[in-house]
Amino acid sequence: MKRHLLAALILLGTLAPAPAAEQGALKQFERGSWQQLLRAHKGHPTLVHFWGVTCGPCKVELPELGQFMKDHPGVDVVTISADLVPNLPDATRSMLDRAGLASAENWIFGDGFAERLRYEIDPAWQGDIPRTMLVARDGTITTIEGSAEIADLSKWSDAQAAAIR
Amino acid sequence: MRYCSPLVRAALAAIMLVALPGLAAAQMSHQHASEAACDETDLHCATRVTPAFGPDGTLWLAWMAGGQISVASSKDQGATFSTPVQVTRERLNLDWGPDARPKLAIDAKGGIALAFSIFRDQAFNGQVLATRSSDGGRRFDQPKPITANNESQRFEAIGFDPSGAVFAAWLDKRNRVPAQQRGQKYDGAGLFVATSKDGGATYSDAKLVADNTCECCRLGLAFDGAGHPVVVFRNIFEGGVRDHAIVTFTDLATPGEVHRVSRDDWQIAACPHHGPSLAISPAGTYHVTWYTNGKTRKGLFYAQSRDGGKTFSDPLPIGQPNRSPSRPQIAAGPQGLVMVWKEFDGQKTTINQMISHDDGATWSKPTAIADTADSSDHPLLVSDRRHTYLSWMTKADGYHFLAIGSEP
Repeated sequence: MKRHLLAALILLGTLAPAPAAEQGALKQFERGSWQQLLRAHKGHPTLVHFWGVTCGPCKVELPELGQFMKDHPGVDVVTISADLVPNLPDATRSMLDRAGLASAENWIFGDGFAERLRYEIDPAWQGDIPRTMLVARDGTITTIEGSAEIADLSKWSDAQAAAIR
Repeated sequence: MRYCSPLVRAALAAIMLVALPGLAAAQMSHQHASEAACDETDLHCATRVTPAFGPDGTLWLAWMAGGQISVASSKDQGATFSTPVQVTRERLNLDWGPDARPKLAIDAKGGIALAFSIFRDQAFNGQVLATRSSDGGRRFDQPKPITANNESQRFEAIGFDPSGAVFAAWLDKRNRVPAQQRGQKYDGAGLFVATSKDGGATYSDAKLVADNTCECCRLGLAFDGAGHPVVVFRNIFEGGVRDHAIVTFTDLATPGEVHRVSRDDWQIAACPHHGPSLAISPAGTYHVTWYTNGKTRKGLFYAQSRDGGKTFSDPLPIGQPNRSPSRPQIAAGPQGLVMVWKEFDGQKTTINQMISHDDGATWSKPTAIADTADSSDHPLLVSDRRHTYLSWMTKADGYHFLAIGSEP
């Protein structure tokens, strides 16, 4: 039986990462994910948007972000659902799909200790959403609390594009 | 296989995980991602626990666990509890927002009124359900909507006034529809109230107190010396500024003027998920604590009003600013005013307290009284005739109920 257990665990180990790589799958945002995310996008202008399925202002802003992503292919768009609910993945995916964000890099808080996840991102953040963090090529982060003005995002994106010319 | 050793069971479980990777991944991430320690309806699986004392000194808890609301009581200050009574009849999509929780209030005869919110559809529209127990908590009526209107409602608060009527306040988006029909933008939600003369079985028609208030923060409710309800809420002031406001009722159905608690200037089109707390001391002083991230000030604050909520003292900052102080709660108990809040150091959440013996003029130094290294509910306060107690649910360490000592 011991051998079976080992085999099962090895199999499990090889299978576990697969679902996250599927198209449209949500990545689990856990301890260390924030630094991992920043490293992965290093040198690229990146828009990180925090939102949640029950947040009214988020519902209005999400489709605008979908349009922004379409209009600004030079910006890496990342969304992170910062709420928790037992049946959240389906609702999250369906809202992202409808907002035109299915092809963005989409994460979902995967640790019930949300305080700790938020602390890794910004110790002063108490969980208000929506929230957008603009990570410039040089790593400079600009945080927009609440709904972002798309015009401001475009201006930032243009400045990022200009920086490499 | 009659005997199944833990190792064999683990192996079988692992094999099942391999056989059903999708299901297994979902279950594993659920346990890990959940704020709850387990998925049953027991107290130790709860994510939110709300306490109240009955007139005979019995402690009552209402909690949210396994998709249901349950109630139990304790005759020994939380050391042991009665067999839980289920309030809900089925598993519901209970409002799990950071500021949501079941509410309970107990009248002078031991009748229990209870209210809670659910998400009633896929779009996360809320509905407030209310019920009561008229037999001392042995059974509860089938929970019913608090209002006939079907637009989104959340963040209810309930309390008994001295005449034995239940006063209920909640946030309600019903005015969004006519505004949109007129082609107007509608921000936030309305603060609505209703009353029940039958212990919480049925409520009067809902009445609007203030429109366009912040839609995603808990309300603070207390009764003044004359028994009139006082509600503190995060309002949306001119220019989308989400600062706090307070209203004192002249009777259960008649709100007085809305006053501003402070000018923090937090202009934000977002859900702060972080509501205020209110206590009224025997001297009639209003004590309010709240969170803001405004231009004028950021963090947790306390202020008091000695003129029935018309004007407030300068806000006093609470907690260590580098420890993200949050979730403030204030109570006026037999030994004075008590304030508790959360702090977080990157690993551990600590509950801190301060005590005032002079009606809020001066406060003791903050002391840490409890901590946990995983997710936890807000710290709450409840008083009987002798003490004020901290009521705090944690995922890793279970439920805490502890008397708060009188600090030097």
